[in-house]
Amino acid sequence: MSLDFGRRADLADVRRVGIPRALLYYRYGIAWRTFFEQLGCEVVLDAPSDRGTLEVGDHLSVDECCLASKLFLGHVAALVEQNVDAVFVPSLMGYGRFDTFCTKFQALPDLAANAFAVAGQSVRIISLRIDELRGETEESAYLGLAARFGLSHKEAKRAYKAAAAAQRDYDASMAREQEKLVKNLSKLPAQERPLTILIAAHPYVSHDPFVGGVVEDALREQGACVLFADETDKPRSLKRSYEFSHSIPWIVNRELIGSILALHDHIDGIVLMSAYPCGPDSMCDDAIERCIKGKPILTLTVDAQAGTAGVETRVESFVDILSYQKKGGYLNA
Amino acid sequence: MRNYQSQPEQGVGEPRVKDPSEERGRITVNEGKPRPLFFTGKRPKRDRHSRHKVSFFHFRNYEPAFKYFTEQVLDADFVPTPTPTRATIKRGEEMSADYVCTPFKHIIGDYAAALDQGADTLVQVTGFCRLNYYGELQEMILRDAGYDNFQMLNFSDVATGKVRDYVAYCKKVVNPNLSIPNGVKNLLGAYRMVEHIDAFRDRYLANAGFEVEHGSFDRVRKEFISAMNAATCNADIEDGFRRAMDALDALPTRKPVDPVRVAIVGEYYTAQDPNSNLDLEQKLLDMGVEVANYMSISNFNLHYNAKAMQASIAEYSSYDMGPTSTFNIAYAKRAAEQGVDGIVHIKSAGCTPEIDVMPVLQRLSRDYHVPVLFLTFDTQTSDAGLDTRLEAFYDMIAMRKVR
Repeated sequence: MSLDFGRRADLADVRRVGIPRALLYYRYGIAWRTFFEQLGCEVVLDAPSDRGTLEVGDHLSVDECCLASKLFLGHVAALVEQNVDAVFVPSLMGYGRFDTFCTKFQALPDLAANAFAVAGQSVRIISLRIDELRGETEESAYLGLAARFGLSHKEAKRAYKAAAAAQRDYDASMAREQEKLVKNLSKLPAQERPLTILIAAHPYVSHDPFVGGVVEDALREQGACVLFADETDKPRSLKRSYEFSHSIPWIVNRELIGSILALHDHIDGIVLMSAYPCGPDSMCDDAIERCIKGKPILTLTVDAQAGTAGVETRVESFVDILSYQKKGGYLNA
Repeated sequence: MRNYQSQPEQGVGEPRVKDPSEERGRITVNEGKPRPLFFTGKRPKRDRHSRHKVSFFHFRNYEPAFKYFTEQVLDADFVPTPTPTRATIKRGEEMSADYVCTPFKHIIGDYAAALDQGADTLVQVTGFCRLNYYGELQEMILRDAGYDNFQMLNFSDVATGKVRDYVAYCKKVVNPNLSIPNGVKNLLGAYRMVEHIDAFRDRYLANAGFEVEHGSFDRVRKEFISAMNAATCNADIEDGFRRAMDALDALPTRKPVDPVRVAIVGEYYTAQDPNSNLDLEQKLLDMGVEVANYMSISNFNLHYNAKAMQASIAEYSSYDMGPTSTFNIAYAKRAAEQGVDGIVHIKSAGCTPEIDVMPVLQRLSRDYHVPVLFLTFDTQTSDAGLDTRLEAFYDMIAMRKVR
């Protein structure tokens, strides 16, 4: 792939870059921030999601869009109001035949541009494309973007390396912390061990305070110990998922399934959460419910209308059932 | 002077005197199997046929091509899927998760029906998006539902995507004795058949709305499909196609100079399959519209130039937005440039890539002043609701045309 070094740097005037706090920000946010800071830009993040973000996003989107995508457009709109020079929206296709992303992430930059154009607003979008199956690797994509900011090849490479390392370190530290937690839990005697619940959801669902935050809080309030399926050793989980299925095409779902398999012995129950109507989850959750045996599974779907109303009740009753079960049934409670 | 009269000693035309033993009939019986008169050097052909009963899912009117592929390329038995009914669809709906895409529900209903008919091998293709995972999950669901005497020919199982591996996989699952030279020859035949089915469909949609004798076009279409179903060699395909096209062209029509024209784009399966889109094409034809449906295997899989398509819509999208997104935007733009009166965009409920295409089409509609009707189909979509919307759409574009 030919890079754009030495050509006219058409993004050199961009000083304030906005990164929407939505979707894959929860997976690659650290890398993105580091990268733009290395390019010498000021990185602007908008506030975490709330009801207002959803309302703005809902207004900009087609009705049938998934909740996460509506939130995303809400975040872009919030950034536009903060007077950023450009908003960073990458187009991510995937890293291999069965390591792809939902097509939503592939369409995001054009989706945002067209949605704003239809609404009569304009937004400047900077983007990159990662599609390793067709030869557009992660590194070449980042280098190409850096070149458009007027960087030399050497500087660009340094920026990319710093970004990748920062993300890697962050992921590793999260995984380490969770591993430590699991280890400590298993050392406790069985009577003292708190109820351990695994939240298996896309990171932009489980870590978004407006969507998954409610569930996490409700679980903690009930005295449960919460683990996250996306805070494990990702490459190892990805590899593990091939024991479960050979043709699931989505990398994030693969990692979640790999984590469920790895943590299966250490947990008391699983909460599967998805944003309505999530394409990958519509199939993977079905497969998980059919194939992951021996642990109770609570499937929660959050949509744009009801939002998280009623979630607390369901989580409470789930935890109640599990704690009764742990004590040996209702009669012994 | 020469004499041309025959001489009496020549005996022309006179019967030869036969031996008395020849006059009587003779009966001979030899023991054993028949053998050639002399040794030809050829051993009799070995029986390569596989006894697997292969079944596909329902997809528009491609069944003859699936049949040809099974019988001539894979060399196995073909079990036609019964025509889907309300019951088939309901069955599929019950077996699938709630918000999985609608084609999944249709296909799994078809599979269950095919297994009831005695099929033992189900074919699932691979492609983009959720389709990659269809085969594995459907197999899991069918086994959970109690069907255990079947296997899947699931092309997603071939992880490399190389032709050689696909062939090896077909050999392993369906027919170990598959003949490669025959297979290649007949695969080309199947390819031609798909092209012909699509070419016929395009001509049909352009003219069937203006037929003089009601039902005449449909009759020719049925004849064409049965000719394709009966084809056993490549010559049958070409011959059947030519005759059907001639018959179609010979039918009288009452086509105005400037008819109302509607273009259809949309999600791969739902945009084509009349069972999924409640026979939308026929409904439009009945209103007297010239219809062009761009989505077909020929257009999207066989003759598709992704790069050129992407370049033609550079102002609307900078990257390929999904499986059929570039295709749909590009063809919608082309249709708008050719001055169609309306565009119908079809998708199944919850189809992520097509939902993402909608804002682009909205923008296109504004730029080119073409009305776009967005339709979402689910297993629950009602016929009456669709009729109302189509009639309103037709009235609107017909009125715009008069103005």
